[in-house]
Amino acid sequence: MIFECRDLDRALSNPDLLAELQMHMRDCEGCRNQYRIWTEISSTARELHQEWESPALWPNILAAVEAQRPEPKHWYMEWKLWAATAAAAATIACVLMYWPHAPAAPSPGIHSGDQDFLTEQALKDVEKNEAAYRRSIDELSRLAQPKLASASSPLLLNYREKLLMLDSAILETRSSIAQNEFNAHLQSDLADLYREKRQTLQEVLTDAQRN
Amino acid sequence: MTWEIGLPLPFGTTLPDNPTDAQLVESCRRGDLRAFEHLYTMHSPKMKSLAFHLLNSRSDAEDAVQETFLKVHKAMGTFQANSALSTWIYRILINCCYDALRKRQRLAEKPMPGQLSTDSKLPLKIALERAILALNERQRLVFLMFEVEGLKHSEIAGVLEVPEGTSRAWLFEAKLALKKMLTEAAR
Repeated sequence: MIFECRDLDRALSNPDLLAELQMHMRDCEGCRNQYRIWTEISSTARELHQEWESPALWPNILAAVEAQRPEPKHWYMEWKLWAATAAAAATIACVLMYWPHAPAAPSPGIHSGDQDFLTEQALKDVEKNEAAYRRSIDELSRLAQPKLASASSPLLLNYREKLLMLDSAILETRSSIAQNEFNAHLQSDLADLYREKRQTLQEVLTDAQRN
Repeated sequence: MTWEIGLPLPFGTTLPDNPTDAQLVESCRRGDLRAFEHLYTMHSPKMKSLAFHLLNSRSDAEDAVQETFLKVHKAMGTFQANSALSTWIYRILINCCYDALRKRQRLAEKPMPGQLSTDSKLPLKIALERAILALNERQRLVFLMFEVEGLKHSEIAGVLEVPEGTSRAWLFEAKLALKKMLTEAAR
């Protein structure tokens, strides 16, 4: 075969013609030039890959994902629901037990005269959920800690103050619960305090992301 | 910094160092945002670059990548494992880019092919960048994915839903067209 310039494109897709192309290029500057460009296209193309930092992209995606989610089923809501359901069930059980029959011996752990108490099983569930909820809040606290430790803006200082107050209130409520662990009101108060703490920590982190 | 806004954080669940597609999909479906972040870390650099070449703007590219991940998150439950996860993600990205192009009508801002021949002294990289814009849609996509972003023909074929041989043929067409434009520009 006599290799001509018009065979160049065919040779580029057919390795069998490469040797003939090489021979032809010895005397043909045009084909030599085209072949050089052909080989350089791939190596130059790799340099076109673009890299740049996008620090806001992932947080934006997360925020948008969160906005896209259906209303989250918060643990504290489940926890409060458990507490309320258990209290209601216990009240009904108590009413059935005491009226219209003769008074029976009080169940262990039930404080007489307290209408808002929890059963043993409900208490276990509440404690289990609380423990999981506390762990997740501890994780948030860990993330927010560096921001709070180096707080200089009035907003962050306020957050820090508020969190200290919340921690103190949580300790106090937990201590009251330790003395009266079947009290659904106290459990509910504690849930509210945790919710407030979680919300505050999220605000700290959101503020840190913005700045 | 990563954190999950909707508690609880998934304590006790771990994501392997090199999770498979199936593990990632399963974790994402369970709402594990670390799996979703893993997807982002793995694919976003190439996705941003590809979107940049299609949209000609970094901020538009970031918007497209964000939109893509939102769609991926929303549609993860419907993902069918008959294609690779990456293939599916790139397909969504390309659709997002085309949506953006349609909305913003950026095509009008791109240099026309005729402009290339007037610039004979351009370094090859710049000339190539401009020449790519003059390729037709399928040639440009295949060229960008294969030569610029390093995807395999099997992956490109999956993204574009064409046989692998077609992907190879379109790449060859693209390179021939580029060679022609660049040779003319160099004269």
